[in-house]
Amino acid sequence: MSKTRWFILPVLVLALAFAFQPGMATGQAVKNPDTYVSVSFGDTDSLDPGWAYDTASLTVIFNVYEPLIFYEGGRMDRFVPFLSTAVPTLQNGLLSKDGKVYTFPIRQGVKFHDGTPLTAEDAAYSLQRFLLSDRDGGPSSLLLEPIFGLTSSRDDKGNLILKFADLQRAIQAKGNNVVITLKEPFGPFLSLMPLWSFVVSKKTAIANGDWNGTAATMAKYNNPKKESMGFFEKANGTGPFKLERWDRAGRQIILARNGSYWRAPARLQRVVLRQVDEPATRILMVKAGDADSDGGVSRRELPQYEGDPNVKILDDLPTGVSTNPAFFFTVDIDCRGNPDCGSGRLDGNGIPSNFFSDVKVRQAFGYSFDFNTFLQDGYRGKATLAKGMIPLGMFGFNPKQEYFTFDRAKATAAFREAHGGQVWERGFKMTILYNAGNVTRELGSRILKDSIEALNPKFKIDIRGVTWSSFLAAMDAGKLPIFWIGWIADFPDPHNFAFHFFHSDGTFPHSQKFKNGEIDALVTLAVKETDVRKRQALYFQINQKYFELAPSIATVNAIGFRVQRTWVRGWYYNPIYPGTYYYTIWKG
Amino acid sequence: MTVFIARRLLLLPLVGIGVTLLIFSLLQLLSPEQRAALYVTDPRQLLALDSIIRTHGLDKPVTVQYVQWLWRVVRGDLGWSETAKMTVARAITTFFPATLELTLYAFVPIIALGIWLGTKSAVHKDKIIDHFSRLFAIGGQSFPTFVWGLLLLMVFYGALRLFPPGRLSLEANLYVLDPEMFRPYTRLLTVDALLNGQVWIFLDALRHLALPVITLSLVSCATLVRVTRSSMLETLRQDYVRTARAKGLEEPKVINKHARKNAMIPVITLSALLFVGLLNGVVITETIYNYPGIGRWGAGAALQLDAAAVAGFALFSALLLVLGNLTADVLYAWIDPRIRLR
Repeated sequence: MSKTRWFILPVLVLALAFAFQPGMATGQAVKNPDTYVSVSFGDTDSLDPGWAYDTASLTVIFNVYEPLIFYEGGRMDRFVPFLSTAVPTLQNGLLSKDGKVYTFPIRQGVKFHDGTPLTAEDAAYSLQRFLLSDRDGGPSSLLLEPIFGLTSSRDDKGNLILKFADLQRAIQAKGNNVVITLKEPFGPFLSLMPLWSFVVSKKTAIANGDWNGTAATMAKYNNPKKESMGFFEKANGTGPFKLERWDRAGRQIILARNGSYWRAPARLQRVVLRQVDEPATRILMVKAGDADSDGGVSRRELPQYEGDPNVKILDDLPTGVSTNPAFFFTVDIDCRGNPDCGSGRLDGNGIPSNFFSDVKVRQAFGYSFDFNTFLQDGYRGKATLAKGMIPLGMFGFNPKQEYFTFDRAKATAAFREAHGGQVWERGFKMTILYNAGNVTRELGSRILKDSIEALNPKFKIDIRGVTWSSFLAAMDAGKLPIFWIGWIADFPDPHNFAFHFFHSDGTFPHSQKFKNGEIDALVTLAVKETDVRKRQALYFQINQKYFELAPSIATVNAIGFRVQRTWVRGWYYNPIYPGTYYYTIWKG
Repeated sequence: MTVFIARRLLLLPLVGIGVTLLIFSLLQLLSPEQRAALYVTDPRQLLALDSIIRTHGLDKPVTVQYVQWLWRVVRGDLGWSETAKMTVARAITTFFPATLELTLYAFVPIIALGIWLGTKSAVHKDKIIDHFSRLFAIGGQSFPTFVWGLLLLMVFYGALRLFPPGRLSLEANLYVLDPEMFRPYTRLLTVDALLNGQVWIFLDALRHLALPVITLSLVSCATLVRVTRSSMLETLRQDYVRTARAKGLEEPKVINKHARKNAMIPVITLSALLFVGLLNGVVITETIYNYPGIGRWGAGAALQLDAAAVAGFALFSALLLVLGNLTADVLYAWIDPRIRLR
């Protein structure tokens, strides 16, 4: 073969490679009509409904598992029966007159993905398991609080205080019904059920080494390690999709249609959730039709989609149930072997573990943040400045609430006072962390770094993006000095924000090691208050305390948007959903 | 030649010990808590940090620690990678084949084009092809990889829809993930596709390799063109080349047989380094094209401060470098017998 042909050969092979391939530019024809591909940057933390408390994980879970009742379309205040055949009300007699006993008749004929039938026993077990697992900073407190009046299943020393008899009494399988008895009436109880009553197969759980439902093994399954849980990487639910594969090497999760679904099977045959870190690649994939939606796009990147006739931008979606993002301070950082603390001492090359225990440091950081630049650059102006943790539009939001503004003089003054003047004198070095791929939070970290470093040359800040699951693990372990994260409500009530932003058993304060007895009492008092005006006043008071103590700094209330191909049909918006509910979606 | 290779092979364990000592010394800069991940095969074990420190002697003298660690390394036990959510050894075997495949495909055009263009450029010094090759070399080296990567992606995928990112299209990806349909013999997709008799998957994989291969070729080839050109220019000035021409040898013979072979020593050195460099992972290329290779994992591990993964990756890279250098040495000896006689 001549030398010239040697060069022609690979060119010919490549030409062949694309000339005979499917998926060439096909105009408006729907690509992969039975498969939905979503691209984003975050990885999944866990597939176990007893553990997962993040959007990336719950996106998978709420398509694979099903709750007793679900939201009615885009409404957050109306429910439809799901695995329960009725929504308990006083009228239908499934809610007791004292408001404490809820009866859920379990739907017959429903099968788990492995073909075994759903029973009331499975539903009761799932709820008991959810309450028992109660990992630190996890979601179990959502049900522990109304059912037992507890914010944790453990005492201060970490001993299990939840009794088996109480568990059995509170959650009972009676014939085809599951009966839940609350300690006291809890108004928003039903609104907790759509996302926090996922039913798993008891048989599969036990086969996977999970709790066997007995008193003897309870302690072992309380506050477990993530990977120890029976459904960490396996699944057996009743949902419209079943887990086909969690392909970690390929960084994707593949869901397949549940052909034996109790309703009409989903129109999509498969859903592929792919992790693609590079924003430009994601954008090109959506534009080329190789992905159907971009779950990782930030508002800064949105112009790259504008004007594309094949891409639909659904903008101005109300987000009155989220505070996103905020930056949080860990007041007792685990600095053991932790490079994010630098030297671990206040010597100009690090920070001690108690660096943020001084409120002056936290306030100084609050006044150092250029909120307006963040709002303009990060959100192109489509957001409002947050006034505390309770989002704009929610009951308990105070429009007159004091909030942090960018103020160099106040920041300097606070830094000078912090730790008896040593912070200003010696300087510090530390790391701000965000979840890798989130360009808005990265921008926020940069703004904070730049403005603080400009105050004093002895202040040195690094920023670092960490993979979502690793970020959550480090956050739970109290290893992140400052971290960026956001919150979408579990149920549309200010308690959900007050608890998780401020109460010592809440998700964030637990990670931050922030504890204030007065605040805990106030949060507990507010949720029990039945007088609307008094309750509102309590949340105003809590928000003011939040400003004064500054355990975290809420930045903006953003306006939601979504980017998807024009051929995507059936999607609807519910601001409380952790992700896309694929059952209603098809392509055409 | 055999003696020469044997001598080189005998040196390998010494080099290996040197490399492990270096990596181990660097690991000592980390606290025992950070090093604990090197001694577990399941993240649940990390709950008992103190126990790990005691069991594996992380609080004992460094010599004891080194021996214990080396023994684990020899057995392939490199610890747990939080970034990959699997053991380091498994992560390497999972991600390396993709990079190996990419490297093998990229290396052919890099070498072929680099040597051919470098030679042409030197032989036709100051002619159009020389100007072109110098322009090509400057262009290839001047633009960072991410610029080439994004540019090519926008043109060939964004605009022309020809070469998509990733390793396979959706349909092919679902097919190869089905163990009943597709058997991964080598984990090199193009090879496995042919072994499974699935030509469409072979073509699909090639289509996905196209852009990363072009990007790497553009960037890496430029260096090779320059080195080949200057080495050839120097060789062409040698007396023996003038003699060959004077005795009436045809120009192609003078160039190909006499000059080019002797100009290859620096080219081989560079090629070996390029090959090893590519095998160690081409982070930016793999990230832009969403290509699941070892470079993307290694870079991610470094950003996550995943000590076990970084140490494992460094050891693996060192091993590749040693093998790459050995190959280069053997090639020197093959091309220039004087080397093995020294």
